[in-house]
Amino acid sequence: MLVLSRKAGESVLVGDDIEVTILEIRGDVVRVGIAAPRSVSVQRSELIAQVSDSNRAAASPSANAVASLAAALRKP
Amino acid sequence: MIATLAADVEPGAVRGAEMEIPEIPVIELVRPMPGFSDDLSFTLVRLDDDGTLCELRSLANPDLRFLVVSAGLFFADYAPEISDDDAQALELTRAEDALVLVLLNPGESLESTTANLLAPVVVNTTSLRAAQIVLDDRRHPLAAPLVR
Repeated sequence: MLVLSRKAGESVLVGDDIEVTILEIRGDVVRVGIAAPRSVSVQRSELIAQVSDSNRAAASPSANAVASLAAALRKP
Repeated sequence: MIATLAADVEPGAVRGAEMEIPEIPVIELVRPMPGFSDDLSFTLVRLDDDGTLCELRSLANPDLRFLVVSAGLFFADYAPEISDDDAQALELTRAEDALVLVLLNPGESLESTTANLLAPVVVNTTSLRAAQIVLDDRRHPLAAPLVR
């Protein structure tokens, strides 16, 4: 991992077209601005990790679970 | 990270206008679902006669499947905001083309079954492109009870 020291207002260029700017440093919170092409998805890492965990838990439920849920949802 | 509404899609309009889910033989994800980077082609199959419970099954790996329901059928007030970028990636220009599906985590009973409202799967029923859209909006829980 490349580690750089930056001050507020300074930025880092990743590749040709992704610019990461340190906007503000206040206490233990750093505000970061990211300018990237539309094709680049920018998300909080922990959010994607949560969705990934949830997806894995949801994937390929047992036949029993599917059958009982289908039965429970069946209209009377 | 600023989610803006697509110009052509009215706020709240992406509500899953179709309550009944159609079967769709091939859906192409424009990007993988988090945790499943190898699977981009899915088929949407009904598991009951009225199209309430369906599954998204990977075409490359038929053992991989996710239970889904139409968001609008269970969460009447749910109106996820789709960014311009996502709308463009899905070639989504008309709100009525958007089928909003939510993934289910089946519990031991219906009462303990949850739906992922944080990251719905939005399908453009015209272009058949889809994506799991991570909303980054605290109003939408990762595990909402399916029934209350």
